[in-house]
Amino acid sequence: MTAAEVLKPPASPAGVAGPGPAGLRLVWLHLRSRRAPAGIGALAVCGALLHLALHWHWAFNSGAYAQQVPMIIEAGAATVIAVTAYSPFGETERSAGRWLPCLRLLTVAGMCGLAIALLQLGAVGESLNAGVLVLARNVIGITGIGLLCSLVTGALLAWTLPMGYMLFCQYALLQAWTAPWVWPVRPPADRGAWIWACAVFAAGLLLFAIRGPRTRLSDDS
Amino acid sequence: MSVTSMPPSRLASARLAPSRLALPSAARALWLEFKRNAVPYVLPLLAAVFYFNTVRTADGFPPVWTLRASAITDHMLFEFSAFAGGLAAWAGSREGRRKTTDMVATTPRAAWARLSITLAGTLSWLLLAFLAGVAVLYVQTALQATWGGPPLWPVFVGAAGVTVVTVIGFACGVLFPGRFTAPLVAIVALVLFQTGLRQALGVAASSGTYALLSPASSPPVVDAGVYYHAAPDLSIVQVMFMGGTALALFGALGLATALRELTPSRGLASLRAGLARTDGWLLRAVAVILVACGVAASWTAFALAGTAKPDAVGGWQIPALHSAASDQPVPATPACTSSSGFQVCVHPAFSFYLNDVAAVLDPVAAEIAGLPGAPLSAKEVASISGGQDVPSGISGNPPVFEFTAERVGMYFGQFLGIPDPVGWREGFQQGLLDAFLARPSQQAGSVPLGPAQQAVEDALLTAAGANVSATIGKMLENGQPIAGPPAVRSAAQRFGALSASARHAWLAGHLAALRAGTITLAQIP
Repeated sequence: MTAAEVLKPPASPAGVAGPGPAGLRLVWLHLRSRRAPAGIGALAVCGALLHLALHWHWAFNSGAYAQQVPMIIEAGAATVIAVTAYSPFGETERSAGRWLPCLRLLTVAGMCGLAIALLQLGAVGESLNAGVLVLARNVIGITGIGLLCSLVTGALLAWTLPMGYMLFCQYALLQAWTAPWVWPVRPPADRGAWIWACAVFAAGLLLFAIRGPRTRLSDDS
Repeated sequence: MSVTSMPPSRLASARLAPSRLALPSAARALWLEFKRNAVPYVLPLLAAVFYFNTVRTADGFPPVWTLRASAITDHMLFEFSAFAGGLAAWAGSREGRRKTTDMVATTPRAAWARLSITLAGTLSWLLLAFLAGVAVLYVQTALQATWGGPPLWPVFVGAAGVTVVTVIGFACGVLFPGRFTAPLVAIVALVLFQTGLRQALGVAASSGTYALLSPASSPPVVDAGVYYHAAPDLSIVQVMFMGGTALALFGALGLATALRELTPSRGLASLRAGLARTDGWLLRAVAVILVACGVAASWTAFALAGTAKPDAVGGWQIPALHSAASDQPVPATPACTSSSGFQVCVHPAFSFYLNDVAAVLDPVAAEIAGLPGAPLSAKEVASISGGQDVPSGISGNPPVFEFTAERVGMYFGQFLGIPDPVGWREGFQQGLLDAFLARPSQQAGSVPLGPAQQAVEDALLTAAGANVSATIGKMLENGQPIAGPPAVRSAAQRFGALSASARHAWLAGHLAALRAGTITLAQIP
């Protein structure tokens, strides 16, 4: 084997590098590197789980308990989005990727929208206790927490803090807390809860888009 | 002098020599796993959730061991399920995530042994954290409880729950190594927990009792395990079910490598080759035995849960496991006080509120002392007897006012339902007067008092120092307490304005008619 053979670029497998505008190809490669297609599958699983939970009455029909199972599943969708932030390329990609912040932002925003749509699809025809507004607020806010967590723990362990927050909210739900920063327990149209959820999401998204997830701690353990 | 001719230093030779204190290789590997495991990083978060969800919830319960211990399975296991499942999946997916499966496959150790060390490291951390949490809960209870000792079965059930979720998560991580495995396992564990709770809350002997396998349930009655032993039947079945599931999954992990080789694409040839292989047959045999034992244990527990039936003290019993000894009353000397002649006795487990109860009942008892049917003492009794709720009331000769830790008069849940001390105080006073003024055949609080009875009760409560206008009303409308009508209030004010001796004399002459409901408001002086 000679150096020339090594330097020769390998032939692209059919179907992988199809023709198309460079921008679209970049987006597609970015999504694939983040396992976004599998993430969409995981979100669909969350939607199906929500449908099963509502259809088979795994949750209570009314009262504080009724919000528990939907909140768990919404947090699950948010953690899936946060975990999607992981990049296998680490520092290399950062030094070469000029469009990386935009791609990160678009990916997370798109996944959030998709998560809300898929969860709402799972609730169609069933009685979701607090409606789509609370569902959307929970997904948005908890995703923000997951993105913030990814800056510290790395993206692969970014599910831990949202999980802890959701567990705390389960307690707050049963104890009838009313603080707006515990937005999952607030009514659908509560302005303070929306402000908190959107602020956390915006902060998480902004910092994540600019800095990207940490690439050391969780990825090495 | 060259490098090759230089003798090795004494220190280096000492390092190279086998140490007498060297750990066995498996222990060294476990120690390494301990150090590299991800669980310690998450412990602060788990501790914060534990504080809010478990410690603060348990703080709201009276310091009775069985009740406080219920927080282990109802709350603590909930938060541990999420993190145990997720972190175990994370540890289990390590080789797949790092794409080192082929590399480590060439090591002389069996894959099962390698995975077992990873699993043991993760499980040890989680069980340590769990036991530390239990210690916090029990130490706090020990400092407040006045009777009894820490029940161990909830700890066993909790530990079995943590173990089974960890093994399930680990198996998922090994079989489906991916970035989404950990969060999805955590979510599914929580949904399963909540579903189990939902089913367990609605369980009835007539509609199947398999949901009792869920470790989560509603909190027991306040005096559970106080008057009678808490039967361990359900806990045994739950531990057996979860332990069996964990054992079967652990065995399946040992077979996972062999199963992967028997892929359908290779056809029968791979099956023949697999059966013909002689290496590792012992491990595979052990794995098969573990799977068989685990399935047998789980199936037995499942079948036993189906035979559960309600016992006489509000719990569930499983005939095949039930011990008659647990049906016997627990011997205890009641804690009593009689500072003003009216004796009040409570179970020693509730002696922390003996003085409060006595201070509340004494003034009311003094108002009715000497009247026909007036109690000479008050006694706390078991809240469930013969499978039925025990109402409060006056019975016996000499008359004794009996109340339970769960129910006084129309009030249910003295501790959980009435958080405000004023309501709690007047609940006791009303409970005593309801029982005194109602017809002997009717249980206190089961039927609202008539207008005249209500007016007299209000007057006596006011005379005893209660602020009747500030209390919850005694008359009901659509099931909700309301303030009494003006005529009742007016009659109560008239009667309350009389001197104590005049009230007493009128009651002595009209008590039978008042109880029978033949006295009108206008007849009250």
